[in-house]
Amino acid sequence: MSTVDATIGWDRLIEHDRVHGSLYTDPAVYEAELERIWYRTWVFVGHVSEVPEPNDYVVKSIGPQPVIMSRDKQGEIHLLLNRCTHRANLVCDAARGNSSAFRCPYHGWTFSNTGRLLGYPFNSGYDGREAKRELGLGRVPRVEIYRGFVFGSFADDGPTLLEHLGDAREALDRLVALSPSGELDLSAGWLQHKVKANWKMLVENETDGYHPQFVHSSIFSVAKSGIGDLYGEESTALSRDLGNGHTENDLRPEFRRIDQPLGWFGTTPDRVPGYVAQLEAANGAEKARELMIDGSPHVMLFPNLFIAEIQLFVIQPLAVDETVQHVTAVQYKGSPDMNRRMLQQTIGSVGPAGFLLADDSEMYERNQRGVHARSPEWVVLKRGTHRERLDENGHVVGDATDEVPQRAIWKHYRSLMEAGS
Amino acid sequence: MDVGEVVSEFAAVALSIDHDGNGPRLRIEDLKTGHVGYLDALELETLAWLPEGALHPLLDPSLHRWRKPAAGGGTH
Ligand code: FES
Ligand SMILES: [Fe+2]
Repeated sequence: MSTVDATIGWDRLIEHDRVHGSLYTDPAVYEAELERIWYRTWVFVGHVSEVPEPNDYVVKSIGPQPVIMSRDKQGEIHLLLNRCTHRANLVCDAARGNSSAFRCPYHGWTFSNTGRLLGYPFNSGYDGREAKRELGLGRVPRVEIYRGFVFGSFADDGPTLLEHLGDAREALDRLVALSPSGELDLSAGWLQHKVKANWKMLVENETDGYHPQFVHSSIFSVAKSGIGDLYGEESTALSRDLGNGHTENDLRPEFRRIDQPLGWFGTTPDRVPGYVAQLEAANGAEKARELMIDGSPHVMLFPNLFIAEIQLFVIQPLAVDETVQHVTAVQYKGSPDMNRRMLQQTIGSVGPAGFLLADDSEMYERNQRGVHARSPEWVVLKRGTHRERLDENGHVVGDATDEVPQRAIWKHYRSLMEAGS
Repeated sequence: MDVGEVVSEFAAVALSIDHDGNGPRLRIEDLKTGHVGYLDALELETLAWLPEGALHPLLDPSLHRWRKPAAGGGTH
């Protein structure tokens, strides 16, 4: 499949503190990534709350692969390939629905929501019942769920989801801990932003603490937000390599220093009394206060799920220079006052008229155009190499604006690409 | 959304359209037992095209409801 010249070797393109520009532009690299990353490792697909009822389904993806996430009558979640086993039409087109069976619009072949072929029109045109059994929908071979987050892997075997997440699973724990009911509701719907840029530009940017004061200065000033200061030279926040390509901007040191409950969210407890009461009832006042000070994680789970405090981003590559970001608002099940605010902030920052994602998207597309230049050939990721250190858990950390996360992403990337050759 | 009740001397069901899921479903409540079942659009379309008698096998009382529990598996 890959047409990458194996004699070059990934080590020649990916060094500790710089990477070669062709990694963002070479279609052969992209093809190799699909096989070695997107169709092998664990990829986030959806959340159980998106299919709350029996026979609910939603249309999803793993990179360019079209996927149906369905919940069958018994409640079990399936990841099926959205491709008719006859002549390959997309079986489901609506973003979501409720149906025990799917009927292909081309010639009417009909499949149960567990993928079984139930039948086809004018069946005298086929002989034997044998074929029917073999012509069920394709499936993502491995499906695992952690805290309601559904991941799929096209590899029949390999690391388990928990092995893949490693210490980064704590990000999902922290996210869910802020919900008084202990559950998230991710059914607000997904906005889609398409950019003409390589997917890795996005992954690298999600935990890039160096750019916010430049790229996002307008929204910070309009919103009178103190977020920009978290990503400055004076900040005590940390950039962190969580292992396996997962990375973090850990803002907790700053929030703890400032010591304002809900300061991370730019609000105060008296504005969301219902939520605060619920959180205290569920955790006790002391623990609730800790949770409200520490706030929500800012973690990029490799390769495609970015937990951005109150939003989730899902990165979907479609071509070497085309990527879609799917965004939804985090909602805590059963906490309407907090949810209303999180939804409003999400619309303001990443909605159609929002500032935040538009600013980033502009950078992605300019990066993609710039990286085509013939010289220099390398992208520099040296920032903070001299002040990297280990935290108490043995993770490499750097200052808030350092490129520890980017180096971590490429290190893991290289191990996956080398393993596949 | 309530649709209404369909009643005979043998059975009584209440029909409504349920919107709890990702798409609408017909909700059927057996008024004698409170038992609830759902049918989606594709299933209902299929019912509309059932030939005379096609439901008869399903009307066999011992098919699902009134039967000895199978070893290892329950009835419902
Ligand atoms: S392609 Fe689906 S029925 Fe022919
Ligand atoms: Fe035609």
